[in-house]
Amino acid sequence: MAEPREIAREADGRLAVRVTQHAPIPLEATFDCAPGELLALTGPSGGGKSTLLRCIAGLERGARGRIACAGGVWLDSDRRINLRPQARSVGLVFQQYALFPHLTARGNVMAALGHWPRAKRAARAEDLLASVHLAGLESRRPAQLSGGQQQRVAMARALARDPQVLLLDEPFAAVDRVTRQKLYRELAELRRTLAMPIVLVTHDLDEAAMLADRMCILHRGRTLQIGSPHEVMTRPADALVARLVDLRNIFEGVVREGRTAQTTVVDWNGIVLEVSHATPFAPGERVSWTIPVSGVVLHRRDRPSRGEHENPVAGRVEESLTLGDDTSMGIRLDANGALLTLRVPTHVARRNGIGIGVRAGASLLADAIHLMPKGSEA
Amino acid sequence: MFHRIRRFAAVAAAALAWVAIGVHAADVPNVAAASDLQFALPDIAAAFMRATGREVRLSFGSSGNFRRQIAEGAPFELFLSADAGYVDALAREGRTEGNGVVYAIGRLALFVPNGSPIEPDATLRDLARALQDGRLVKLAIANPEHAPYGRAAREALMHAGLWEALAQKLALGENVSQAAQFAASGAARAGLVPASLARAPALAARGRFVVLPASLHAPLVQKMILLRGAGPTAHAFYDFLRQPAAREILARYGFEVPSAASDIR
Amino acid sequence: MDWQALTLSLKLAAATAALLVPFGIVVARVLAWRHFPGRRVVEAALALPLVLPPTVLGYYLLSAFGMRSPLGRAFDALAGHPLAFSFAGLLAASVIFNLPFAVQPMQRAFEAIPADVRPAAACCGMSPWRIFSDIELPLAWPGVLSALVLTFAHTLGEFGVVLMVGGNIPGETRTIAIAIYDRVQAFDTDAAGAMAAVLLGLSLAAIAIAYSTTRGPARG
Repeated sequence: MAEPREIAREADGRLAVRVTQHAPIPLEATFDCAPGELLALTGPSGGGKSTLLRCIAGLERGARGRIACAGGVWLDSDRRINLRPQARSVGLVFQQYALFPHLTARGNVMAALGHWPRAKRAARAEDLLASVHLAGLESRRPAQLSGGQQQRVAMARALARDPQVLLLDEPFAAVDRVTRQKLYRELAELRRTLAMPIVLVTHDLDEAAMLADRMCILHRGRTLQIGSPHEVMTRPADALVARLVDLRNIFEGVVREGRTAQTTVVDWNGIVLEVSHATPFAPGERVSWTIPVSGVVLHRRDRPSRGEHENPVAGRVEESLTLGDDTSMGIRLDANGALLTLRVPTHVARRNGIGIGVRAGASLLADAIHLMPKGSEA
Repeated sequence: MFHRIRRFAAVAAAALAWVAIGVHAADVPNVAAASDLQFALPDIAAAFMRATGREVRLSFGSSGNFRRQIAEGAPFELFLSADAGYVDALAREGRTEGNGVVYAIGRLALFVPNGSPIEPDATLRDLARALQDGRLVKLAIANPEHAPYGRAAREALMHAGLWEALAQKLALGENVSQAAQFAASGAARAGLVPASLARAPALAARGRFVVLPASLHAPLVQKMILLRGAGPTAHAFYDFLRQPAAREILARYGFEVPSAASDIR
Repeated sequence: MDWQALTLSLKLAAATAALLVPFGIVVARVLAWRHFPGRRVVEAALALPLVLPPTVLGYYLLSAFGMRSPLGRAFDALAGHPLAFSFAGLLAASVIFNLPFAVQPMQRAFEAIPADVRPAAACCGMSPWRIFSDIELPLAWPGVLSALVLTFAHTLGEFGVVLMVGGNIPGETRTIAIAIYDRVQAFDTDAAGAMAAVLLGLSLAAIAIAYSTTRGPARG
C-alpha cells in the first residue's frame, strides 16, 4: 500500500515504479523519477532495461508490483489493477522506432492524436514535427527518411500522446556519432519545454552521464544503485556496480585502526593506504575499494610535486595503450603484485619516457579512494 | 483504409447472399443415365421437350457409380441403368417407387479406330490373332466392377478364351464413354463398347465397328426406375420413355426395345 | 459453353473466398503471433490439403458428409436434402481444401509486420480494432488479396474432390471443370475446348493479380 506521502508526491507528476516479474525476463526493480527529471536506466545487455520500460508502458502483461504516475495507478497487483497500454498515458520511443511503414510522418504522428478533435489533428501533427526540426518532411514515408529523421518522427509521435511520462528505449543506438550529437542537443532543448518524467534506457555510460539527472544501474533485472551519474560512477555501492560502471581499479583490502576520526586506513595486501574521509567500516573488516583512473597521479620525473607523498606506490609498466591524446597504462606494483590502471596525456608519457617495461611510480589520491562492502560478486 | 474494408465486406456479403438465395428452377428433375445412353437420351429428351414443353437434366456415368450415389442420397429422380441388378438392389433398399421396368436390351460392339491394324471381326478370332502376333497392345473396355457393359465385355472375352491372356493389356474406362474415348482416340487399338455408342455419328466417323452376337454374354437387360420423391415431370418422362416415339429413337441407336405388350414389371 | 456450369463455378469460388478470407484472417493472426504449444502441428494440419491426393480428401469428406455419418444425417434432417451431392456439400469441401491457400499467404503477411509496430500502435492509444483495421490490414493487404485470389482460382479448377463429393449434378454440382470432363466424354470437343479456354483465361488473370500484389504499393 502506498503511503500518504507517496501519493501526494505522485499527484504532482512523479513516476513511481516497483516491478517483479519471473518470465520471460526476471525483474526485481524499484525506482522513481520526478517530473522534468531524466533518469537513465543503464546496465549490461540482457539486464531487463527494455523489458522494464515495456512494463511501465503496459506491454508486459505478466508484471506484478506497483506502477503509478501523476497520481494515477497503472499497475497494482494487490488491487488487481493492470491498465492496458491504451489506457496509460505513455510516450514510448522504440529501439528501432517502430514507425508505421505505410503512413507518412504526419500520418504516424496523427495516429497518436486520437484524443484530439479530428479537425485539428493534422495541424497539431505538423506542429509537433516542426518542434523536432522536421518541418517540410511531413509527407515522407519512413522508408524515405534517414535514421535520425525517423528517430525524430518517433519522438514526435511519442509526444503527440501528451504523455505523462516519456520512455526512450536506446533511441540513439542506431545512428552515427555526428547525428547522435545533434540528437543529444535536441533532446536537451526539448527537455526545457517538457514537464514530465523521462526514462532513458541506454547501455552507453557516457551518454547516460551526459544526459541524465540521475542514473539507475540495472543488472539481471535488479536495481543495484540509483544516484546522480557522478555519484554512481565515483561512489559505487559495491564492487559489482563498480565493474558495471567501467571502473578499472577495483581491489580488496582490510580496514586498520585509523590515525584520526576523519581518516581510514586500509591494508591493501601489504600496501598501507590512507583514505581522507571517514567510512562506516570497522577495523578488521574486509572491504572492496576502488579509485577512478583520474585519481591515480603519475610521478613525473620532469615535474615532481608534493603530492607524490600521498599513498605512493611503485612498479613496472606492464600495459600501455595509446588512444589518441590519452594513454592508458597498467603498472604492476612491486609491493603486492596488483595491476594499477591510470591515464596520462600521451605527450606526458612520451616526455617522461614511460613505456612498457619501464619503472614508474604513482600516487593514489587519498580523497579519491572509495570503500565498498565486500559483498559476493555476482 | 476503412473504406476499402467496408467495400470488401459488402462484396463478400453480397456473394454470400447470392449463394443463399440460389437459383432453383422449378421441377426440372435430375436424371441419372448409364453412359451408353450418351447420345440416345439427349435426343429423347429433346423429343420430350417438344411434346410436353418440359425439361429434364441429364447426368451420364457408370451404372454402378450411380447406384452408389443414389444409395447415399444423391438427388436423382429417375435412374436409367445399363442392367437390372443395380435397379433391383435399389428397389430392395426401399429407395424407389415400384420395381422399375425394362426399357431396352443393350448390345456390345467391337470398335476399331481408323488406322488400327485390328479387324472388326464379330467372332473375335482376328482379335485373338492380333493378341498373338502383337498387333494388339491395349484393348479398351469399361470397368467390369461397376459398368454392366464392362461385365459383358469380360464375359465375351472369357467365352472366346481371351480373358486371361488380355489381363495386362486392358485399358479400363471409368464408364463406357471413357472406354469409347480410349478407342476412338487411338490410345487403344480396339475397344469393346456399347453398340449405341459405336453407331453414334461422333464415333462412327472415327472408326469401324461390328455388333457382337448376343450369345457371347448374358443379356444386357437395361432397367429404369423412378426414385422415391420423384416429381410429376420425372413421372412424365418415365412414361414417355415407353412410348413409340422414344422407342424408335432407341432402336435407331441399336438397342432392342421391348414391345408394348411385353413390359416386364 | 455450359453457362450454368460456369455460373455455378463462379458462385462456388466466390462463396468459398467470402467464407474463408475472414476465417483465414483470424487463424493467420493467431498462428503469426501466438506461439502456443502445438502450433507447428496446427500449421502442418492446415497444409495437408496441399499434398493430399484429391481422392483421399474426397473419400474422407464423403465419409463425413454421407448419409452414414451423424453430420450428414443431421444436415439432411435440417435442410431436407443430403450434404453430399449438394452445393452446400461442395462449399464445405471447398472451404476445407482451400485452407492452406487462404491461411498461408496471410500468415506470412502478418508475420512480416515488424514486431514492435503493434505495441507501438497500442502505446499511441489505438484500440485493438483500430490497430487491426488501420495498421495490420493495410500492411498485410497484399497477403490477404493473394489469399483471396488464389482461393478463388483454385476453387474454379478443383476436380477430383468435387467429383467425389458432388457427383455430377447439373445446376447443383456440375462445375465448369466437371462440365469439361463431361463434354469430353460426350465427344463434344468444341464445347470442352471453349470452356477449357475460359478456365485458362480466368486462372491466368488470377495468378497475374496474385503475383502483382506481392510487389504491391502498400509499403512506401
